[in-house]
Amino acid sequence: MGILEINQLHKRFGQHEVLKGLEMDVPEHSIFGLVGQNGAGKTTTMKIILGLLKPDSGSVTVCGEKVAYGETKTNRHIGFLPDVPEFYGYMTAREYLKLCGEITGLSQTKTKVRSEELLELVGLKNEKKRIGSFSRGMKQRLGIAQALLNEPKLLICDEPTSSLDPIGRKEILDILLAAKGKTTVLFSTHILSDVERICDRIAVLHGGKLALYGTLAEVKQRHRYNGFVLEFENVETAAIFAKSKELQHPSISTTRSGNTVTVLLTGCDLDGHFFLDVLAQKRIVPLKFVALEPTLESLFLEVVQ
Amino acid sequence: MTGYLAFLKKEIFEYAKTYKLLILLVVFAVFGITNPLVAKLLPEILGSLVADGITITMPKATAYDAWTQFFKNATQMGLILTVILFSGVLSSELSKGTLVILLTKGLSRTAVILAKYTCMALLWTASIALCFGLTYVYTHYLFPADKVSNLPFSVFCLWLFGMFLLAVLLLSAVLTKSSYGCLLLTGAAVVACLLVNIIPAAHRYNPISLVTDKMGLIKNTIAVSSLFGAVFIAFLLALLFVSLAVLIFRKKQL
Amino acid sequence: MDLAMLREYLPLLIPLVILQFALGITALIHVLRHPAYRFGNKVMWVIIVVFIQIIGPIIYFTLGRGED
Repeated sequence: MGILEINQLHKRFGQHEVLKGLEMDVPEHSIFGLVGQNGAGKTTTMKIILGLLKPDSGSVTVCGEKVAYGETKTNRHIGFLPDVPEFYGYMTAREYLKLCGEITGLSQTKTKVRSEELLELVGLKNEKKRIGSFSRGMKQRLGIAQALLNEPKLLICDEPTSSLDPIGRKEILDILLAAKGKTTVLFSTHILSDVERICDRIAVLHGGKLALYGTLAEVKQRHRYNGFVLEFENVETAAIFAKSKELQHPSISTTRSGNTVTVLLTGCDLDGHFFLDVLAQKRIVPLKFVALEPTLESLFLEVVQ
Repeated sequence: MTGYLAFLKKEIFEYAKTYKLLILLVVFAVFGITNPLVAKLLPEILGSLVADGITITMPKATAYDAWTQFFKNATQMGLILTVILFSGVLSSELSKGTLVILLTKGLSRTAVILAKYTCMALLWTASIALCFGLTYVYTHYLFPADKVSNLPFSVFCLWLFGMFLLAVLLLSAVLTKSSYGCLLLTGAAVVACLLVNIIPAAHRYNPISLVTDKMGLIKNTIAVSSLFGAVFIAFLLALLFVSLAVLIFRKKQL
Repeated sequence: MDLAMLREYLPLLIPLVILQFALGITALIHVLRHPAYRFGNKVMWVIIVVFIQIIGPIIYFTLGRGED
């Protein structure tokens, strides 16, 4: 059973239907990347999980407990980092974590120990200034610290990296990766390289539903193109290969640019051997012969078309 | 309960750190001191300004004048300032999004509203107590012989009206998004109370009678019992408004 | 107001003066130490806080004070 289960979730804002029967299942101890364009419903989904928004229909279960809109007990399992976390500017980071500890009902000593651990983890240990003077990245890091304070089973981060510079992004991703052993992480983003860097599972949200879902390897496997990229010594050889009559087949599409030829196979039982045979016949040795790997970007573009 | 206490502590800390506590206490303290002083000194100053030859007989100032000042200032300037200072009680947290994190940490929404009301009530009570205490001490010193009637009860009425107004404010804050909307709605509620007073029969039960009738109270021209209805209704409405604020806030989309 | 009167009421006025000063100085320190205001500039707020008793500091703290 997953730590988070979403069943047939529908949500409409006025005329605009954001979620149309979303189904999702997040297994324990995974880093789950929720990808989608701006306005795809990522934040809406998260707010529903947190009981901040009321779904029109459907249900969400966290750790086996159903989420109730408004006052929900399930939040005690969850740590949440909003896209732009805002704190009380007149407090210091330690004072804020102390308040969070009091609210979640942690003991004072426990709060103190956890605060020090987390401030160390997020690199704010020696920060004595008030939060009001923090930079965006520092707020984001404090946001992660507060989200992890009560050792949640599920950590939800809404676009934790979107507003940060490359260094800030790397820091945040490293912190999330470090948290993986202890908790399940669900984070939304539209930066695909972040997903490739740390996620083991991915879901692409498009048109109010999941357009793509599974482990990163699975998704890539499922969407593997039957195709190859061949690189030749020079343009002439590439042209000879590309124009050979064996390749003038309805289920083969060939594109050449310079000395590189890309061949795509659709709906036939031909495979790599066929091209190897063609090459052997023509007595051509390519410099490279590579099976086409789908990138996350190409997959994403494919599903959101 | 732990959430309520933690959040209440945070609220008080916030008012102290944002200087709102300081402003409230200083203003009410200044009123407390100036009320009897103005009552005492104004006739004497005016009297000394008048040139020789013309004699204006100024009525001698009494403790009654000091308390008139007290009730005038506390109900008008005092309450207006209080309401303005508290008008951002929810809107600032909602618009900035500071509350969302705490709510997702399991802080109950009921605790938020109740802690906010408690905090406002505590500050209002402290302010009015300070103002009353100072006016009392000064009046006692400046007008040792004078006695006014029904003083504790009229101050209680003023305090209760403040509590009623804060409940209105809280409900307005839950209903509207901005602090201006909150102020507007609270103002509208006061105007509504004043309009209701046009109906003579409603006067006895109108919360606003708590602050419009107190001069009669300290002069002893109005019987204490005539305000019992208004006390009861104000208390009931305050309770109702706070409960409504809780119920509506629990179902609010954030 | 003659001198005798002033002398008589001075002890009563002192707390009032202390309050005004305390508020004014708190506001002045804040104006100088937090140079970010919601509107206006430092000179303007110093003048308002120092010369307008009670009301000046209140206006500063409620309207003029920037975010921490």
